[in-house]
Amino acid sequence: MKRILSFFLAVMTALLLTTVVSVAHHSFTMFDKSTEKVATGTLARWTFNNPHSWLYLNVKNKDGSETLWSFEGSSPTTLLQRGITGTTFEYGKTYTVLYCPLKDGRPGGGIGWVKLPDGTFINPADGGCSGSAETIERWKGWLAKGYTSNIEAQAAQKAQGGK
Amino acid sequence: MRFSQSLGQVALAGFALVAVPLMAVSQRGSFGGGYGPALTVVKPAKVFATSDEHYKYLLQQAKGGTKHSITSVPRWDGLWVTAGNTHMDMFIDPPGFTGKVRSGVLTPPYEAAYKERWRQQQELGEVQYDRLTHCEPPGYPRWLLEPYTHEFVNLPQESYMINDYGPGIRRVYIGKEHSNVYGTHSWYGDTIGFWDGARLVTSTKYLLPADFTRWSPMTSNQFESVETWELKRYPGDIERLEVQVTFYDKHAFVTPVSAVYAFRRAKELEAAGHRVQHWECEGSSNDFLVNGTTSSRLPGEEGFKDPRGSTMFPDLPGQSRDPIFNTVLPTKPAQ
Repeated sequence: MKRILSFFLAVMTALLLTTVVSVAHHSFTMFDKSTEKVATGTLARWTFNNPHSWLYLNVKNKDGSETLWSFEGSSPTTLLQRGITGTTFEYGKTYTVLYCPLKDGRPGGGIGWVKLPDGTFINPADGGCSGSAETIERWKGWLAKGYTSNIEAQAAQKAQGGK
Repeated sequence: MRFSQSLGQVALAGFALVAVPLMAVSQRGSFGGGYGPALTVVKPAKVFATSDEHYKYLLQQAKGGTKHSITSVPRWDGLWVTAGNTHMDMFIDPPGFTGKVRSGVLTPPYEAAYKERWRQQQELGEVQYDRLTHCEPPGYPRWLLEPYTHEFVNLPQESYMINDYGPGIRRVYIGKEHSNVYGTHSWYGDTIGFWDGARLVTSTKYLLPADFTRWSPMTSNQFESVETWELKRYPGDIERLEVQVTFYDKHAFVTPVSAVYAFRRAKELEAAGHRVQHWECEGSSNDFLVNGTTSSRLPGEEGFKDPRGSTMFPDLPGQSRDPIFNTVLPTKPAQ
């Protein structure tokens, strides 16, 4: 029974995360919503401001240098309804984020989900990328297999016959 | 065993409480819908040629309206958020965002303009231009659709309808006639109203041309409306403000169109200790238009605005707009 209860609670939590509809004051046409990528970095700034929040992460490059990446999220009012506040993220701590990249290749994107240091996933997304419960669940499986983009994961799945 | 059964029942009840609203959220055009029963449009009792005729008819029906005192005027205290609407049903044939623009609702020029927006929405997944990107006020009728935090303050002589977005403040002058001393129109127009018991009836005129949303039709400078606001309560401790609206626009609509919009009490925001703040845009929005398409400026790029940076006097102590965390973003373009 406990397992059933846990399942229902998990589903309820997931549904609650997707219940809030994302709307914003601008079009999201600058983001490639068909591409999902994962980045990990240390928090440089959490701008919990209207009309959009922005999460800034210092992400290490392969050569050891760092690039400041910018990820746009939803408005504070919307995020408060999901339990996310101006103090949700701690400076200097490491976060993993899902994002849909800027089409022009600059280091930024629309944010999807964020994985906190304790392993919890939260959804600060607006319309630029999906941070829904369904996306989180899909990515939990892909992260476990070491994938960092949906294209990579889908190609691997295809190579394995859709498994 | 009994405990296990109870746990199961609690879980199922919780599932239903969440799943049912979620299903309703998928209603087309619905922002935060699903709280309470499905919304139903109540069209005017008869067809009116103008919003003035409509408003006067309702005022007559209410025998001049209810004269409330400070103790009897209905109170809609607290924080509110959008709770669904039938907006898209006015202009799009089912099924919602994959449907087609309904012919004959909009006048030919407005229908053609809207079809281009809808083409972008369907083919590109986004309408490329939104006039709010450069911090233009949402205005009315967009006020009815925009999410974020709403507050309603009713006084016997005036009601204030506030959305933090913008911020957008509508003032309803109770028992007054329309007035326009500016000699032009404005983003929120001029709104008068009267109480019919616990229902607030309003008339809005003198609006600037705008739109409902970027994926909805544009509106002209002759856009007008008649609204009826009523607070309803439903099982599950749901408080929902329902707004029956008829829109008039001789340039945009072939005949008047009607819809219902709703707001629900945002108890979760109140529980989170949310305090409505001034909406920033000019000093913090890093989205802009380039060749008619939306893009974003990143730290270090020309024109980037840092809402948590310093004022124009960074050498003076205490000039950071990030006084708690004191973070600094780079001023050079990212590599």
